[in-house]
Amino acid sequence: MAALAPKIHEVPDDLLAAIDYCYDQGWTDGLPVVPPVVDRVKAMLAADGRPPETVISHHPATGLDLSLHAAAANAVMAGCLPDYFPVVVAAFEAMDRPEFNFHGSTASTGGSAPLLVVSGPIAEEIGMNADVNLFGPGNRANGTIGRATRLILRNVFQMLPGISDKSTQGNPGKYSFCIAERARGNPWPLLCQAQGYAAGASSVTVFAGGGFCNVENHGGNTPEQVLGSVADAMANYGCITLGQSVVILAPEHMAIVAAAGWTRERTQDFLFSQAKRSVEGMKGIGKYREREYDAQHGEGAPRLVEKGFMHRGMTPEDILVTMGGGDAGGHSCFIPSWSRGRGSILQHAEIRKRS
Amino acid sequence: MVLCTVPFQVTARNIAKVLGLPDYPFLSVQHPIGSCTLPELKARAEIAYRQALPILLQG
Amino acid sequence: MQLYAPTSTTPRRKAFRAPALATIDGMRIGVLENGKLNAEEMLNEVAQLFVQRNGCTIRTLASKSNASAPAPAPTLVKVAQEVDFLLTGLGD
Repeated sequence: MAALAPKIHEVPDDLLAAIDYCYDQGWTDGLPVVPPVVDRVKAMLAADGRPPETVISHHPATGLDLSLHAAAANAVMAGCLPDYFPVVVAAFEAMDRPEFNFHGSTASTGGSAPLLVVSGPIAEEIGMNADVNLFGPGNRANGTIGRATRLILRNVFQMLPGISDKSTQGNPGKYSFCIAERARGNPWPLLCQAQGYAAGASSVTVFAGGGFCNVENHGGNTPEQVLGSVADAMANYGCITLGQSVVILAPEHMAIVAAAGWTRERTQDFLFSQAKRSVEGMKGIGKYREREYDAQHGEGAPRLVEKGFMHRGMTPEDILVTMGGGDAGGHSCFIPSWSRGRGSILQHAEIRKRS
Repeated sequence: MVLCTVPFQVTARNIAKVLGLPDYPFLSVQHPIGSCTLPELKARAEIAYRQALPILLQG
Repeated sequence: MQLYAPTSTTPRRKAFRAPALATIDGMRIGVLENGKLNAEEMLNEVAQLFVQRNGCTIRTLASKSNASAPAPAPTLVKVAQEVDFLLTGLGD
């Protein structure tokens, strides 16, 4: 079926009144938005160059499509500059894959939010923050790209809190959850390189993040000590599932890991083998499910899976690890996933500058 | 026949509306399901059954 | 000032419900569960009441591997051919 023409709302030439109008229409996340005036939306669209009706994402439960035009309108409202638009587009191209199941991860009581990790040269080109106060406020690109993601979920896919978004508690990342991977001083290949994109390309990785857990360790000075505290956070009884994980190592922690010669793969292996709980313990708190144990320990299970234990995730590759944050402070973080059995597998896409 | 618990009624109605069936009737039972005992499930089943009869026969 | 609506431009669908049944007695029931805790048990309890009181038969027990995604089209096509009505559910 052909898409309908985008609807135009005529409002008085009064910016504050237009902001109020957007509130009245139910188009906001609770904060004021930039009214999606025609010229700004067209300028945003020019950053992609394809026809505005091009569909970049499809909602599996409602059948609603996301066109470039609707994405651009929401990006304007979020406060994005046109240079940021390719990141928003790539994020939804990644979430469009069935494995991600973005209906479930945005509707479920689990309350996850899509975390966007931008990797590669575009991060610096558009002024993203990969450094101090990584997850905090203060950077326009980080803040508005993440916010555009939320506004699209709300306005295009109708993921309305309390109606179709049934998050029991939600999480603060549902306003905006977007970071850049820190390239400066990073001893490992960047994610975009590890993902196999061509030299000079950038990528965005999307992850249904269920919250944020700070991992403090100022005393540890070996990889085992630092990563041991990360693994313990990953395996806490409230968080442990078969789901994937994102771990952002603080530069201080990364320096300890890298100085000992540990690669990303070795780090993933260590975290996977250590982030576990005994079957008895899982039974003790009522979270043990035999079919999950069987799924983890069945045919093809990685060699690091230990009998009698539930690990976090299915394989070491289920743990995305990279570096981010300011130079000072022994504060890394672990971000749990929303689910495993119902999709929300990490997805990534190349960020293409088409114009 | 779609059975859902009370807190999900609004969700079910919204999806039905988006899919073009705003008046689609649902069976509504008390929340939750996952932690219920068998007698609790049986009590919910009785309620759902009674709700289902007129929907099946009258649309 | 002109504002673009930030909403989807997907046309509204037209959909129709199945016609009402003339009787429930002896009908064939399908059950489509979503893998959540007690989902199968809950739906089976309802189905059993139709079996006991209306002489219905349970023809199909289908499972969704993903509670948060629509049932795959082949599953629905197959079930539709085998049953007179289907019990399914959502929630936790």
